[in-house]
Amino acid sequence: MAITRRELITTIAKAGATGAVAVTAAAQPLRAETETVSIPSAAVGLLYDATICIGCKACVAACAEANGETPDTRGDGLHQAPSDLNDLTRNIIKLYKPTDGSPASFVKRQCMHCLDPACAAGCPFQALHKDPESGIVYWTADKCIGCRYCTITCPYHVPRFQWVGYNPRVTKCELCSHRLAQGLKPGCTSVCPTGAVIFGPRTVLLMEAKHRISQNPGRYFKDKVYGETDNGGTQSLYLARVPFEDLGLPELGQESVPARTLRWQRRFYQYFALPALLYAGLVQVIRKSVKGHVEEAHEREKETGLRAQL
Amino acid sequence: MANSVKPEITVQSHLEAAGVSRRDFLRLCSVLVATAPAGLALTKTGSAAEVAAKIAAARRPSVIWLHFQDCTGCTETLLRTSAPDAAHLILDIISLDYHETLMAASGEQAEAALRQAIADNAGKYVLVVEGAIPTRDDGVYMQLAGRPAVQVVKEAAGKAAAIIAIGSCASWGGVPSSDPNPTGAVGVDTVISGKPIVNLPGCPPNPYNLLAVVLEYVTMNRLPELDDLRRPIFAYERVIHENCPRRAHFDAGRFAHSFGDEGHRKGWCLYKLGCKGPVTHAACSTRHFNETPGVWPIGIGAPCLGCTEKNVVWSMGTAETVPIHLATPPDTYPPIYSSAGKIKTGAAVLVGAIAGAVGSASWVASQRFRSSEEAGAERIAMDRAHAFKDAAAARIEAAEWKKEEVTTEKAEAAERKKED
Amino acid sequence: MSATLSAVPNSPVKTPTRWERAVPVYGFPVITRFFVVLLALTLVALVLTGYRELAGLGPVSGMNDLFGWGIWKTFNVMVLTALGSGAFAVGIAAWVFRRKKLHALMRMALLTSFLAYACGLLLLGIDAGRPWNFYWIVFPWKWNMHSPLAEVAICMSIYAMIPLAVENLPPVLERLWYFDSRLRPGVEKIEKRLHAVFPYVIALAYLLPGMHQSSLGALMLLAGERVHPLWQTPFLPLLYVWAACFMSFGCVAGVTMLCCLIWQRAMDMDVLDEAARITCWLIYGWSALRFLDIAFREQFGTAFHFDRFAGVFWLEMILIMGGGRLLQRSVRTHDTGKMFLGYVLSSLGGMIYRFSPTTLAFRPNPQALYFPATIEILVSLGFIALGVAGFLIAVKRFAILPGPLYLWHDMASYFRFRRPYIRWTGYFKYGHFGEDEKITNHNSHE
Repeated sequence: MAITRRELITTIAKAGATGAVAVTAAAQPLRAETETVSIPSAAVGLLYDATICIGCKACVAACAEANGETPDTRGDGLHQAPSDLNDLTRNIIKLYKPTDGSPASFVKRQCMHCLDPACAAGCPFQALHKDPESGIVYWTADKCIGCRYCTITCPYHVPRFQWVGYNPRVTKCELCSHRLAQGLKPGCTSVCPTGAVIFGPRTVLLMEAKHRISQNPGRYFKDKVYGETDNGGTQSLYLARVPFEDLGLPELGQESVPARTLRWQRRFYQYFALPALLYAGLVQVIRKSVKGHVEEAHEREKETGLRAQL
Repeated sequence: MANSVKPEITVQSHLEAAGVSRRDFLRLCSVLVATAPAGLALTKTGSAAEVAAKIAAARRPSVIWLHFQDCTGCTETLLRTSAPDAAHLILDIISLDYHETLMAASGEQAEAALRQAIADNAGKYVLVVEGAIPTRDDGVYMQLAGRPAVQVVKEAAGKAAAIIAIGSCASWGGVPSSDPNPTGAVGVDTVISGKPIVNLPGCPPNPYNLLAVVLEYVTMNRLPELDDLRRPIFAYERVIHENCPRRAHFDAGRFAHSFGDEGHRKGWCLYKLGCKGPVTHAACSTRHFNETPGVWPIGIGAPCLGCTEKNVVWSMGTAETVPIHLATPPDTYPPIYSSAGKIKTGAAVLVGAIAGAVGSASWVASQRFRSSEEAGAERIAMDRAHAFKDAAAARIEAAEWKKEEVTTEKAEAAERKKED
Repeated sequence: MSATLSAVPNSPVKTPTRWERAVPVYGFPVITRFFVVLLALTLVALVLTGYRELAGLGPVSGMNDLFGWGIWKTFNVMVLTALGSGAFAVGIAAWVFRRKKLHALMRMALLTSFLAYACGLLLLGIDAGRPWNFYWIVFPWKWNMHSPLAEVAICMSIYAMIPLAVENLPPVLERLWYFDSRLRPGVEKIEKRLHAVFPYVIALAYLLPGMHQSSLGALMLLAGERVHPLWQTPFLPLLYVWAACFMSFGCVAGVTMLCCLIWQRAMDMDVLDEAARITCWLIYGWSALRFLDIAFREQFGTAFHFDRFAGVFWLEMILIMGGGRLLQRSVRTHDTGKMFLGYVLSSLGGMIYRFSPTTLAFRPNPQALYFPATIEILVSLGFIALGVAGFLIAVKRFAILPGPLYLWHDMASYFRFRRPYIRWTGYFKYGHFGEDEKITNHNSHE
């Protein structure tokens, strides 16, 4: 049969040794999935209250200006009216208008700056990474290979790839970090006429959101702040009158996408132990097979007078 | 000044008698048309000439104007026209039979004039009320000839054909009614019932609103369409914000943040300075004052105070920003789920062709396998035959070659023996 | 087993063919009309690739913001490398489970794998938007080990460049050995070293594909609910690597059968039956796992909705299970046509299965759709054509396609007697029955 008892024992013994080697030689130990998502020390974010938003889209214009981006006029060649986030648009206002006459609502979509971002979890060479202090998820051009995996893993479809040109980049909101460095606020929050979107430390924003909920019972959908624990927690928080799903903010549960979906993957590759074990076992088995095969080949060689093909 | 002229005479005959030129009259009518482009049966016809014809044929309306808790601003607005003849013209078209500010009489004579005017035009006159009516403590806080305002207005309204409450004070209480409202000031429609009342709020309102309402009543014999606060729809349907000339700045997020700053000087939106335009129903944004474009609060850089609205002007702070509510969001917004990608025919045809080619090739190949079984057997036999034949030939050649070798070796061995 | 050349020609008794040796395909020129067409397609693809590098990915493909991956990643990499997992699947069956008969198919498996991976990796490089940053692969501390895509890229590159290439060396070295006797000492030295590390290389060649074929499945785990529940499962990596196994068996055995058909070579039904039986049980096991998984997650009802997802699901399952059934029956009835069809159908079904979670069953939002653009299809096709062209050259110049022993001798005599002017292959030098002993002396090197 395939493996004899003796082979099995030697395999396990050698695997133990190989496993120890693998541990010390591992490139990066993987995080155990039981570790809870940590909130950055100086986490900043946005609080968007859809019940106050009037859909003036000043934030869309201000965002493009603050980031030095040419306004996206590709729709009709004249007006800055992007129909979705794209490589020139980091922030957009969308309208949810049901046909049955139930309340309509605007929604501002930009990067959620998740506490455990799926985009950063999937990025092969860490071009997308979360700043450990402010929690802002940045994209660095010199590490990105343009694989567009981030556009697929992000549950909110935020990162957008530049489809034209030989030097494409990935665009998404970075909370105007260059303005933050100068002591200014992000572009969108500084022009909002009604204060629908505000900037601040995540803890303060959460408090403000909860305060609004308690002061206005029945105004907000299920008295819930979207992003408090959704997807493991995000730094862009939402309040709305209508169900969040209708605004394109899906129900993702309390666990972040990477933690929920990559659990077994992470367990399997923890410290490379299992792969190393497997390798050791394979080597043992194959050595025996190869020996037998080579012996047979030599016999055939003698019989046929032709050089062995291995 | 108004004289007590018998109202049977038409407007036309009176204007001729007063020596008013037709040109001036037509000019007034064109202003009227501009004032009420829609919502008035009188101006629906459209052209100034047609409006003039209607007015000319009408009886000269008798108007009795009462003042209560007022500042006389509404009267002033009627008089403060930039074309000086317009005021006269208005006063020539209507027959102002009693007006405390404008009439020459005073004291007992004035009271007699009021009683006379009411008696002469009973059931036909339009009562214009300016100023709020105090109701607390039996209305003692405003008395006309020793009689409380409540009594006076009830008496005057009793015989009136229609009542126009001009100004915010008469419409809903105005300044005197601001918190804590010590006099209990209320608007006319709180005190009077059972009579058609038109409210023309504003502080002051546009004088042509008054003229249009009066003339509509006189020519068409009915009051214009009113909203649920009794305001004529032609003038109070929209909020300032909807027609504001500075709306583009609001939409683009360009605001003045303090008086005299760059934005203010550039004429940007005054919302952040506390403009109440979004919640104020009035026509000031389209029909400015003094017949001069730009002469209205926002036009000169002063944020709208919301003087027509009861819950705004004396209830909110001047710098307080208002919440903005849109009745129906427009459709020019991207939907929650945007579309992406499309199927191009060329590509679809190519994919179909490839799929078809692969499929048919596989099927044909699988069929060939069966038929090739027999052919295969033949080929195998052929290969074997060739191999056999060539093997035979090869053996022969090998044997010959060996023979050569053997002979050469023997020859070499013999040679070596010879040498030894 | 010695060659029985004493069989009488034209005899009605047919002794069954046994594949005893890999023999190059002789008597068929490399440059045929089909080959020229393949080269033309490759040229078109190369020109279009140049255009893609300059113009960006948008103008040349149907990819958009919501479907970030087009057929280059999802078809040429995910699907074709599954077909090209022959080295992995057939190898494990032959070396680990000691199915000795399958050794005859090993060289075919290795060649198809190498070409499939080469094609896939080339397209991975073309598909990447900023390929100049690939150099980070050299620094392990920069790898993001949480990322399945990093695992795929790194593992695939290492696999193709080291174990797979090394495993494909023997036919090349053999050819060199025959080509010029002066090269023989060098070749023998290399071969000695190769045989010393063979087990370690082969073990790596089975560990790495196991890892990255399953990671290809793990890629779509991160997409979560957006992949339709009939496909999205925590078992996706396992289902992917299992599908790669039966797909590659289909590819290797199917291609071998096709080659035997085209170049009129006898088929060894022992080997093919073995392969068919293994494939059939792999298919049944896989199908059972998939159905159980769907039932366990209580998604079986969605398979009966009237929508395109249910349609694709049943198409996959019918093709795969139908193919498996055909294979099973063909073994019993010795029907090679049915066997070939079985391989084709099951491989096709497997291809659709591996393709679905990224495109057919991927629903980023209700309004988005993806369809490849013409240029995208042509580039994909062109590189597949390159692979096929490479296959044709290799199979005609190296000993890869298996055949009976006498065929080797026939090949030798072909070059010695029938086409003596073709000297450059070197094959004419051996199989010469007079020189058997001399050659045998040269052969002893261990």
